Amino acid sequence: MNLKDPSSMNKILGIVLRAGVVLSGVIIAIGTILFIVNHSLDDASSYLAYNPGLILHGNFPISLASIATGVGSLEPFSVIELGFLVLLATPVARVALSLFLFAAEKDRMYVYLTAAVLVILLFSMLATPLIPLFNG
Amino acid sequence: MIVIEFFLILFIASIAAGALGSIVGIGGGLIVIPILTLFLGVDIHYAIGASIVSIIATSSGAAATYVKDRITNLRIGMFLETATTTGAIIGAAIAAYLSATVLEAIFGTILIISLVPLVRKIGEEYPPQQQLKGLAKKLNLRGDYVERDGSKIEYNAANPGKGLAGMLVAGLISGLLGIGSGTFKVLSMDLAMKLPMKVSTTTSNFMIGVTAAASAGIYFARGDVNPLITAPVALGILIGASLGTRVLAKAKNTVVRKLFALVLAASAIEMIIRALGF
Repeated sequence: MNLKDPSSMNKILGIVLRAGVVLSGVIIAIGTILFIVNHSLDDASSYLAYNPGLILHGNFPISLASIATGVGSLEPFSVIELGFLVLLATPVARVALSLFLFAAEKDRMYVYLTAAVLVILLFSMLATPLIPLFNG
Repeated sequence: MIVIEFFLILFIASIAAGALGSIVGIGGGLIVIPILTLFLGVDIHYAIGASIVSIIATSSGAAATYVKDRITNLRIGMFLETATTTGAIIGAAIAAYLSATVLEAIFGTILIISLVPLVRKIGEEYPPQQQLKGLAKKLNLRGDYVERDGSKIEYNAANPGKGLAGMLVAGLISGLLGIGSGTFKVLSMDLAMKLPMKVSTTTSNFMIGVTAAASAGIYFARGDVNPLITAPVALGILIGASLGTRVLAKAKNTVVRKLFALVLAASAIEMIIRALGF
């Protein structure tokens, strides 16, 4: 495939999006099966308690390190969270690849616009959770 | 309620939400949030976390098809996205200082008012051809797509400034209330920019995913994305969205607009009911 040809760039974009969606669906489905085989008859509310007084509201991992550890031992909730992170990466990949698409079309204006959107997106995703102002 | 029962109810509701959302350009929170809070008794924070999951799943699930069919206008979407993501960040920053109740009442009212111009053009299959001028010309805000019967539809965008302003509001709402505000995005493109309805809904479909991803970090870090809810919502929505894209490709613009008007009315009512505290 030629990265400088807009129509093959569009195809690559489609393939990447489809792969991201299928991969995340498969990972979430695996996590679900792992959970269901042992816990299908549990009381659902025991997993749904929300404690606003705690920084961690539920009994599931949210840090990348704990998700990685959990996935290693096939802990169902960690596997599901990993699937969600893959899903979350697809819109980001879409914007990033659009940058190359516009570059292939030699449309400089849109390369800049897309770069701006990508910067705002990454700032908001990665930086704002660390800034107290946004955690009201 | 046992886990398997909870899972199946949410899974089936999510298939419906994904199908509807992918056709009319919204994220499915409209269905997922009330099912969770009213029917399944889940805390609103988890429901909003689930709504973020459902928006991203709807957007990405439908994207592969819409990219291939080239109905989504990537340029218009990217241009408008600069305003939406900026608005979302501002909204998230000031959310703590504003009352959600007042905001919901205001936005619910705006949605109801916007039903009037929408209903007035309810039977319009394609918008009247617009002249490409000013900023729209400079930014090349035009496009074309091929209908299933083989006819090629060409269009130019009108009023990019108004569209951008509408998107800033849409972004603010997303940041403030944690919803996708796909309805506002579709309205801005349909009423202000006068794009064909399917272009408006599929471009909104692209945009809501990016906006939701921007705010997902905060909800995830806070622990609002509960895996027991995420799993059935994501799986159901992905299936529903892939069904929805097949319907949209064949649907007439007038049908899509009628469906959107119903969704808009429901969404306005839901917002006002929530503001009134029921």
